[in-house]
Amino acid sequence: MSASVSVIIDLPSEQTYHVATLGALRHAGLDTPPRVLRSEEWDGDTSALGTGVVIGPGSPYVDEAAVYEIIRHARETGLPLVGT
Amino acid sequence: MLVEHAKNLLGMDDAMHDEYGNAGDPVIARLSCSLQGGEIEVRFTRGSLFERAHGAATAVEQTTCNYGLRPDLNGLANSSGMRVSAVDDTGEVRAIERPDHPFFAGTLYQPQLTTAEGRPHPILAAFVRAACAVR
Repeated sequence: MSASVSVIIDLPSEQTYHVATLGALRHAGLDTPPRVLRSEEWDGDTSALGTGVVIGPGSPYVDEAAVYEIIRHARETGLPLVGT
Repeated sequence: MLVEHAKNLLGMDDAMHDEYGNAGDPVIARLSCSLQGGEIEVRFTRGSLFERAHGAATAVEQTTCNYGLRPDLNGLANSSGMRVSAVDDTGEVRAIERPDHPFFAGTLYQPQLTTAEGRPHPILAAFVRAACAVR
């Protein structure tokens, strides 16, 4: 299945839960690799979030406010979001 | 997700996640017993997205969390459009959702730790289907 999914995660790419999160999305049927964004890298462009957002594990996030803003945007606009 | 809910919908301006160590009202606080590196059995709310996705009333999940919804704020997770989706055997909230949203779900466990090729986690599979359905 193809979708434009973003994963908000501050853990290093080789970290167990980062690897597990991306693998789990692949196992769940996501054909297109997701866009991985560190919380402090998000510049407020909601179009960059794609058609679905994963709030990945590993709090505390570097930019806590950015994560809350992404969640608010998804909640208010109906953008699919899952947080783990 | 619970902190955003508290801040933006419930007027708790100083709601915060205790793990950040900032001043404020901790909505997410250190759990009395650590879940880190453990298995928990969760029971899904009847009719919830989670029950439908799993096709079952319960599931065993992996978690690495030391933090959770402060117990005296459990009602917060059943307010302003948010609903409790799962609890553990102590009655603590372990998952939430917004039934009126196309897909909005959060877990206090890590579904990504129990998947494999050919064995997707039901809630993540449901999320991917929802993301693919967006036009």
